[in-house]
Formats: sequence, C-alpha cells, structure tokens
Amino acid sequence: MLKPLSSDRWDYTKAAHLLNRAGFGGPPEEIQKLADLGPDKAVAYLLDYEKIPDPTPNPDWAQPNPDEIKKLREVQRTGTPEEKKMAQREQQQLFQRRMLELRGWWLKRMATGPRPLQEKLVLFWHGHFATSVEKVRNPYYMWRQNELFRRLATGNWQQLLTEAGKDPAMLVWLDQAQSKKDHPNENFAREVMELFALGEGHYTEKDIGQAARALTGWSLEPNEQKFIFRPRIHDDGDKTFLGRTGNFDGDDVIQIIVAQPQAARFITAKLWNYFAGQMPSEDLNTDLAAALRANDNNFKPFLREMFRSEKFYSDAVIRNQVKSPVQWLVGSVRVLESELPPPLVSWGMLRQLGQDLFAPPNVKGWDGGVTWITTNTLLSRYNDAQSLVEGTLPPLAAGDFAKKAGGGKGQKAMKAMQRIRMGGVKVDKILLPDEKADKGTIVAALEHRLFQTSLSGDQEQTLREFLNSKTKMTDADILTAIRLMMSTPDYQVT
Amino acid sequence: MKNEITLQTRREFLRRTVLGSSLAWTVPAFLANTFSVLQAEAADSAIQTATGKDASILVVLQMAGGNDGINTVVPYANDFYHKARPKIGLKAEEVLKINGDIGLHGAMKGFKELYDAGQLSVIQGVGYPNPNRSHFRSTEIWQTASDSNRVEKNGWIGRYFDNACPGADPTIGVTIGSQLPQAFFASKPKGIVFNNPQNYRFMANGAGTEESYKKLNELEMSSAQPDDNSGGSIGMLPAGMPMTGGKAVDFISRTALDAQQSSDEIRSIAAKVQNTAVYPPSQLGGSLKMVAKLIGGGLPTRIYYVSQGGYDTHTNQLGSQQRLLGDLAESVKAFTDDMKAQGNMGRVVVMTFSEFGRRVSENANGGTDHGAAAPMFIVGNKVKAGLLGQYPSLAPGDLYQGDVKYNVDFRSVYASVLENWLKTKSAPILGKQFTPLPVV
Repeated sequence: MLKPLSSDRWDYTKAAHLLNRAGFGGPPEEIQKLADLGPDKAVAYLLDYEKIPDPTPNPDWAQPNPDEIKKLREVQRTGTPEEKKMAQREQQQLFQRRMLELRGWWLKRMATGPRPLQEKLVLFWHGHFATSVEKVRNPYYMWRQNELFRRLATGNWQQLLTEAGKDPAMLVWLDQAQSKKDHPNENFAREVMELFALGEGHYTEKDIGQAARALTGWSLEPNEQKFIFRPRIHDDGDKTFLGRTGNFDGDDVIQIIVAQPQAARFITAKLWNYFAGQMPSEDLNTDLAAALRANDNNFKPFLREMFRSEKFYSDAVIRNQVKSPVQWLVGSVRVLESELPPPLVSWGMLRQLGQDLFAPPNVKGWDGGVTWITTNTLLSRYNDAQSLVEGTLPPLAAGDFAKKAGGGKGQKAMKAMQRIRMGGVKVDKILLPDEKADKGTIVAALEHRLFQTSLSGDQEQTLREFLNSKTKMTDADILTAIRLMMSTPDYQVT
Repeated sequence: MKNEITLQTRREFLRRTVLGSSLAWTVPAFLANTFSVLQAEAADSAIQTATGKDASILVVLQMAGGNDGINTVVPYANDFYHKARPKIGLKAEEVLKINGDIGLHGAMKGFKELYDAGQLSVIQGVGYPNPNRSHFRSTEIWQTASDSNRVEKNGWIGRYFDNACPGADPTIGVTIGSQLPQAFFASKPKGIVFNNPQNYRFMANGAGTEESYKKLNELEMSSAQPDDNSGGSIGMLPAGMPMTGGKAVDFISRTALDAQQSSDEIRSIAAKVQNTAVYPPSQLGGSLKMVAKLIGGGLPTRIYYVSQGGYDTHTNQLGSQQRLLGDLAESVKAFTDDMKAQGNMGRVVVMTFSEFGRRVSENANGGTDHGAAAPMFIVGNKVKAGLLGQYPSLAPGDLYQGDVKYNVDFRSVYASVLENWLKTKSAPILGKQFTPLPVV
C-alpha cells in the first residue's frame, strides 16, 4: 500500500515539488494556486487534464500523404540521375523543415500548453520507446507516434504497448516491418522485453526467437502509411513463449508479456524514477507494482496514488533530481515568464545539452540522472542561461546553425541567423517595484522564484556583493544576477 | 635505475596530489612527508604514476552498435563464410589480403598500411564467456570489464583512475563527446568531457560576472568535500540506474570545479596546436583531430576516449559498413600520421572495441543480427603487430546459437594494456588476474 501524504502537511514547497515533477514548474502564482487547492485537488488538476481543452492545432502536414510518396517513387523509377538527386535533396530539406517545426510545436505545448502533465508523460513515453528520426526518416511517423503517446499517456499498459508496437515509426525503428516467416528479425522482439516491458534477465534468448516468430506479419502499408497484418509472412506454427505454448501472434506476445508480474514492476520503477528522480527500493517497487495491477494496469489511477503518496514528498526526493535538458529549458522559460527561443535555437541548445528530441541516442533512450551532467554540458547550461535571460544568441558556431537551417551555407546561414529573435527576460515582469527597490529583497525574490528555497548564505552574499558592486544598478545587472543564479549547481536540480 | 625512476615520479605525483601541478615546487618538505605516509598505499598500488609530457597514452575507440567483425577481418577463402552470407559475403578481390585466408575489409586501406608497417595488431575472436546480445548489457560488460552475470557500477578506466591516479588533474581522462562513457564511472570520478573547445568556457560579460560565477561554484565545493576519502561523495552512477542515495547537487558541484579548472587549458591548446595530417570530415575524424592537438599541447592525459556510432547493421549492411570502416581507417591513419609528425607516436596506443560482433548468417534484409565475439585492433609503435589469437571457426557445428565462440577474453587485452602500457597492476582494476595477452 502506498501511504498517502496527510493533507495537513501540504504546503507551498510540496505544491512546488508537484508542479516541478508532474509538470515543468512555474512562476510563484501558479505554485500558490496548487498550494491553495490542497493535495487531492492539486493532483486532480494536473492529472484529469481531459477536462481542460487543448486547442493546439496539428502541423498541416500531419496526415498520410500518398500523393507525395507516389510522386517521389515515380521520380525514383523514371527520372534521370539528376532528377533523382534533386528530388532526394528536396525531400530531405522538406523533412528537416518539418522536423524543426515538430520540435518547436512540441516544446511550445510543454512551455505554454494547458496540460503540463500530459506533455511530461509524452516526454516519458518518448524516452521509454526511444524512437529516432535518424532511422525512421519520416516526420509524419514521428508526429503520429508523439500523438499516440499523448492519446494514451495515462492509458492502459497493454493497449499502449500493443499500439506502440504497431506504430509505423516503431515498425521502422526496430525493423519489425521487415521481419518475415523464413527470417524473423529479432530486433523488436528483443527490445519489447528488454527495454520496454520486462528488463534483462526475465526472459531467455529462446523466448526472443519465439516471440520474433509470433510477431512476423506485423508490417507497414507504405502508401497509406499505417500498420497492416500480412498473413503470408506470418509464422502460424506453435511457439513456446515465457512458459506458454500456442499458435501465438503479436497481440498474444504483448498480452503474455504484460501478464507477467515483472511487467508492472518494470514500468512502475521507470515511472517512479522519472518523476521522483531515483530508482525505487525493492519494497517501494513492490507497492508501486501492486498499485498498477490493482488498477488493471491503468496508469491514471496509478499516477494519482503515486503523486498523492507520502514517499513522493520525502526529503530524499525533493530537490534531488537533475533537470533533464528539456526540463531545464522549458522550466526556465516558465519560471522566468519569458518565451521559448525560436525552434532552431531551442533545438541547438537541447542537442548541445544532450537531449535531441525525436533523436534519442539509442534504443535505450536517455540515461538521465547525473549522466546529464558533464563538464561540457554544465558549461553549456551556464552559457545558455545567458542567452535565455539576456535574449542573445547562444554560443553555437555559425556552421552549426547553417547545418540546422536546412543545409544552407555562408551568406544564407548568416542571414537566417540575423533573423533570429530571442525573447529574453523582462525584469518588471518578475520583480515588483518594491522588491526591486532593495538589493537584499531582489536576491530573496529571485531565489524564491528560481529555487523555491534559499541558497547557502555564502552564495547569497556573493550575489548581494555582485549587485552592490554596481554603483548604478540597472535591469541589465539584475539579468546578470539571474544568469549567475542559473549558473550554479543548485539550479541544475529540481 | 628502475627504482630511481619510480621514486622520482612518486615524489612528483605526491606534490601534484597535495596542491595541484601549478604549485608543485612550493610544497614544503614536511607536508610532502606527511602526505607520503597518508598516500603510501595509493602510491604503492601505482607502479608508475607519472603524468605529463612523457607518459604513455591510451586512446580508446568505441565502435558503437556492434560491428560485424566477420566482414571486417574477412575469412574470404572460407566456404562456410560464403554459404552463411550469400548476399553480403565479401569476395577475394574485395578484401585487402593479409594472407591466403584472411583479409581486411576493402575500405580499410589505412589499416592495411599500418599493418604492413608493423604498427597494427589484429586480435581475432575477442569476447567473453556467456555472451550477451543486448547492446546495453554487452556495452556495460565491456565498459565495466565485469563477468557477464555480474552487474558492476564502475568502469574499468574509472577503476584505473581510482587505483593508480589518486589526486590527478581532472584532465587525466578526456572524452571527446557530450556524454561520459560508463568506462569512466568511478568511486571518485575523474576526467572531463567536451566536444567544442571554443564553447568550453564560462562566457561572461560585465565586470564581476566571472568572479561571481567562480565564487558561486567554488563555495559549493567546500560543503561537498570532493576529496574526502571517507565516502559521502556520490560518485558516478551507472547509466540507466540513477541515484539511489546522496545528493545530486554534490555531483554537479564537483563537475563544476573540474570544468572551471580544465577550461582555460583546453582552449589554449586547441588554439595553439596545429594538425599536420588531413582527417576525414566525420565525427570520429574531428574527435581524433582534437585528441592529436591535446597530446601535442602536452595535456597530462593518460586516457582519451572517442567513439563512432552506426554499426548496428540489421539492414542493408554493405554500404553502411563500407562507409564506417573507411572512416575508421582513414581517421586512425591520419591520427598516427599526426603523432609521427609530433614525435609522439611512441607514446600512443589506440585500442578499438565494439560491444559484440554479429551473427554468422546474414538475415533476410541484407544485414546481420546481434552476435558475439569479434576482432579488436591495437595500433602503436610498440604493439605486437600481425594477427593474434585464432580466427573463430565458422563451421556450423562449432557455433553457439549461430554465433562464433570467443578465443580471447577482452579482459586479457585490457590486462596487457594496463600492465605493459599504462604500467600498473591489472588485478585490482579488473577484479582478478587475467593473463595479459602479449599485445603491447
């Protein structure tokens, strides 16, 4: 049993913690709102997000486009080598533009959308099913998978695993679309057990081979760009899988996997790690798994128990999670009440910080935790903080931008760079006139906003001394102080 | 003679340990004596602890994704080979022949030149008992040098630093990239990571900004006590297994200090040292180019780590592996040319590894699935050049679940590199004594 946090222990700090973890944090007024609601309603506000309309329109290319594909095929079949090359380049540039748009579209949903927990879960499932456009090479598929995670973010474990397996991006990513009866491809069969649902040591190599046989026939219809079952390449012989024997197909495989007690342990440990910032103890994992199973493998009631649990608010959990680059970027924009940098710049920052959305490093996704922090990424965070606060371009080489701008070089890239406008932070938006009047209250108000706690006495003094050294303190000096606060180890955790 | 050298280097090492290199000569004798007692154990464990301009250097090159070793070191005359790979098998005229049975992949001209010059050893059939076919688990096994049924947190390079380089400069280990490989995870993590030297610094504008940044990040350290032997430091944590104890902020504080210390040094070297060789415009080429600069600039680094990805060739393998191996061979060749021009070739050994080889039989998609044993390459002036170990048998009866069996445990290669090249005892680092394969 997960013991709930008693309501009388609910306070501003815990409300801030909930918003930081079940969302991307926010300014003091948002935290205060959750603090006033009490724990049940605060959790419900974030979790029952279906009640809040989300009017975000989809990208206009976010639909199957058979004509586009037919045209391309036609060129590949009948075109001259020149035409083929041209068509390929055009398509590549189109894909790059769309991916850029998609990344901006998603980040905006996280930063300003009305359903922060839904987006936080989409980010979890993206990291969990870790599919990369680098192999899938199709923005529509990437968008479609992202929407699948959004639709089933708090849904049922078996349904999610099945649909994720039949999702076009996944069918390409783990080669399932190419797996045939006489040569079953083991890639998806292996990863669905090792990385998605059970973890290493809970199946044998033989189970993988058997699952791969059962999964044959799961394929992709390239014109309509959707899942299709092809009976002719499906192996319909008997398989023995995880101790059961029968003429299993792919759906059976998923069902048998999710029925393993380990499947609940595995996914709840990962969810706890994602939201609480550390792997659960064996005992806690047992309680978490029991909670999911008691709710028929539905995530929503499970998450409600988790976000209400006493353990989620323990001292070891609060302010002890390394912010992922996305948490860092989106969270910064939210607490500073500023704007996201344009997609090109956001993308550049996140790549440099080690979290390129839609392009995780491998099938296992991002390792997370302290592995986000290296000497390199830490300095980058400190420097990107300057860009966010002061509204200047981040220190990315021009060539890097050129590549991202879609293959342009030289002048064209420089022009594209000059067009980029960064928002920056408006001091008057985050400091009241009377807060701004005194250097001591400036530091205190900013600490409250950025950390929801105090820095060490020495750090506070350093910041006060910095402001005191300015004979005529300007807004620019306050912005530098904010940047300095973000250039601390403390700001990298939440 | 040998003793004298050891004493000399030990004294130097102690000075560095106490106050850092820049103040070495100012260490009062009584302090040095005190610390020599405290550090005696650490010093004894390190037969050779010198860092600096003359020490030997290891460059670890990861071929990520599981390189198909069979199409890299190709048994082109073997019938089993062609039977198992009717579509992707390489013919005699497509390989760079080493002898009547075996040749290097045709794209590896640079490696063939090194081979002919006696600077390349090809260790055949390297693996470990009970091989694991998961990328992550097998990578973890190679990075931690653990048995396949035991999960280790720290990496073998990290344990080398823990055992043989206490108190060393943060630049004792350098990874070119943005993530620290698990091989570097240690109880007291060392080593820095960067990819672009120009951006490897705190960019400050306005008076007092940089000073305040330093204070804000140094103050943290005093509470974190990074060099406290009694524990409390959280250390690095294994990938995918985030912290179960300790404070995340302590780890970040330590990293912040390493970043501060190494930033000036890296940038000045990167700006000063010129490469003479021409590298391919690939990620690996760029990484090795940077390593060459840092070596030329005299960074006290013992281990550099670079990687090249893309070897997970489940589909249409021929083209992608051709490109990857070509890039590998060209990049490493350019690097050795640079080292020769610098006069540093005698100090450097490059060692490649991949988490596993691939299945002997090709799959239906013109690719290969995850397998087991595969070759390693060791490059250097003092390597035992030629073919080492035995080519694993491809006869169907000799395979285990379709994979070749290993002949050489990778840890006996690590043992050789540690003992014969980095001059340290390997058993404390590898957990037990492996017989060093005579390779360096």
